[in-house]
Amino acid sequence: MVDPTQAGMVAVGAGLAVGLAGIGAGLGEQAIGAAAVGAMAEDEKFFGKGLLMTVIPESIVIFGLVVALILLFVF
Amino acid sequence: MLKPTKMTRVMIAGTRDLMEPAISTLHRLNVLHISDYSEENEDFKIGRPLKNASKLSEYLLSLRAISNQLGVKEKEPSLKQSSAELPSRIDEKISNLQKEVSSRFDELRSIEFNIKEKEDLVSSIKPFFGLPLPLDDYVGYETLKVFTGYIDADIEPGISKITEKYELITGEHEKRKIFALFVPVAFADDIQKLLQEERSYVEFKVPDLKGNPPVLLGELTKEIAILKEKHASIKAELDNIRKEYSDFIMAADEYLSMETQKAEAPLRFATSPNAFIIDGWVPSRKYDEIESELQKSTGGLAYLTRLEEEVKEEEIPIELENPAPAKPFELLINTFATPKYREIDPASLVFITFPLFYAIMLGDVGYGILIAGIAAVIKNKFKSGGLNALAVILFLSAVLSVLLGFIYGEFFGFPLFNAVTNGEMEQGLLGIAGPVIAGIHIPVHRFESVQSLLLITLLIGIVHIFLGLVLGFRNITIEHGLKHAIYEKGSWMMILIGGVAAIAKLMPALMSKLPVQSHDPVFIGGVGLAVIGIILLIKGEGFISIMEIPTLLSNVLSYARILAIGLSSAGIALAVNTLSMKLFIRPEGILLGKGIGLALVGVLILLIGHLINLLLGILGPGLHSLRLQYVEFFTKFYEGGGKKYVPFGYNRKYTEE
Repeated sequence: MVDPTQAGMVAVGAGLAVGLAGIGAGLGEQAIGAAAVGAMAEDEKFFGKGLLMTVIPESIVIFGLVVALILLFVF
Repeated sequence: MLKPTKMTRVMIAGTRDLMEPAISTLHRLNVLHISDYSEENEDFKIGRPLKNASKLSEYLLSLRAISNQLGVKEKEPSLKQSSAELPSRIDEKISNLQKEVSSRFDELRSIEFNIKEKEDLVSSIKPFFGLPLPLDDYVGYETLKVFTGYIDADIEPGISKITEKYELITGEHEKRKIFALFVPVAFADDIQKLLQEERSYVEFKVPDLKGNPPVLLGELTKEIAILKEKHASIKAELDNIRKEYSDFIMAADEYLSMETQKAEAPLRFATSPNAFIIDGWVPSRKYDEIESELQKSTGGLAYLTRLEEEVKEEEIPIELENPAPAKPFELLINTFATPKYREIDPASLVFITFPLFYAIMLGDVGYGILIAGIAAVIKNKFKSGGLNALAVILFLSAVLSVLLGFIYGEFFGFPLFNAVTNGEMEQGLLGIAGPVIAGIHIPVHRFESVQSLLLITLLIGIVHIFLGLVLGFRNITIEHGLKHAIYEKGSWMMILIGGVAAIAKLMPALMSKLPVQSHDPVFIGGVGLAVIGIILLIKGEGFISIMEIPTLLSNVLSYARILAIGLSSAGIALAVNTLSMKLFIRPEGILLGKGIGLALVGVLILLIGHLINLLLGILGPGLHSLRLQYVEFFTKFYEGGGKKYVPFGYNRKYTEE
């Protein structure tokens, strides 16, 4: 088990893991999302493929989330 | 289920005189997907529309114009019209309607224009109320120039510098100063300049009318009232026409659309001067029906045959075939892509996994019931189409969420059962302890069991992805043979299973800093399997495919979102509840302990918070559950690219035979 000050640092670390990963994914997703909406405006059939492309950077957040959960609940 | 409907390619040939009866039989059956004929040659050309086609489209055009002018809206038909009776009176009725409607409609427009004109006059007269002169005094001078307008500043000194010969009348209208200035024409330019330098100057034109402004206003208002009355009465007449004829209009529109479709059908056939050929697809089980009906209507003279030759998979039209409960989920499949003919149609699998993922994420009895209610309302309002399918999907997902909410013991974020959390006894809404079902103590508190839930979600992910790979294995085997399937999908299965086995043995040891038990047969087997998988993968797909291996890890981890979305939704509910409860119950458990004002704020927070969370609860779990299907599951086996089956015919709504 960790002592109280370390617990605080663990919480900060977990927050950073999710937060920074979220910012990164957001930056990645903005251009893809814009392009996907453009493609969909031309042809609605692009919805499926557009969604697929748009959410690819999202896995980064999931990595961040997993790290955060491990930090908070496993250590 | 799992496979699109089996299709048979048919060719129908006959002499030109049989074309019309053949068309009307095929149209009635509504099963033949016609392949458009496009390769013209010397013998066979693309057919010409039947001779009534242009007349029919003309009728349709005027009917739609009338329907637009009347504002006829689509609705459920009160009475179906017989299409045997429709044609006899259709042209007469349409032209009568057109006469009645368009003359009234034109009159309506001109009255509206008149009213607008008069209203403009009224607003331009009003400022002159502040000045004592009748309107005709402002115009008609040869040697005088008249300026009228709003102005705030005193302009008299400026004017007297330019000329002594002037007449200035000032007044007030709606708390703004207005003026009328009469000067000799010779000074007009200088005065104009002077006025324009003044910021507050707004010119207004004298309306082309004679008489006293108040009297004129009275007259105009009266005229407008009369016009408005007339407008209303014509509108009422049009409304009556609409009420009387809307059933006819909808039925006639349907009838004409159908007839136009039939009349234009030859554009899709191959025709020679004396014969026609139709090439198309029917669901195999319908072939006999189409054959016997066609023979009946053409006296056995039409020639119909199955074509067995190989065609490109992409050319076969796809009709998805699923049991009724899974039918709405075809919407999700078609939104992604229509499957190819020999591919697996995953609708019935999505029927299980989509609501399951949704429910694990949302998992709240209160939200579940509410969303199910909303979905039921939408379902009843829209009886068919995409919205109906979405409502059914949402309804199923919400019902499952209620069940999961029971397991989690959550009702709008409040605990449902008594349970011990953080060493404290928490009173549940039901006031009883949760039951034990199949060895599981209910409630499974989400915040308390993050570790085990995380493990469960990842396991779900592994199973789901493995299922996707199995389907992919099957698809590739059918399309390219077993060897390719082993290289392309078998390798991934080995990597997945081997990797999971190895990591499952490795992780606990790493976590607790114990030495890794490298002799463990499961660990060795897992690593071995994964290595064989990687070798197969490189052999099949080339060295670059190593880059793809981390994707598998991210795919599996991606299922952690099932837990994450659930936690955030439960977290928001908890936050809202804690906040509002503090305002209107506590301290010391006394209701309204902090006064009625704060209690109301608490109620407001409760309502708005849960409303927002409810909306998020529809969007978040829905989109993420869909994403898991599309991105993690479908990419393992699903290519799509099929052509939708669109039978030649019409789904009648307002008419019957």
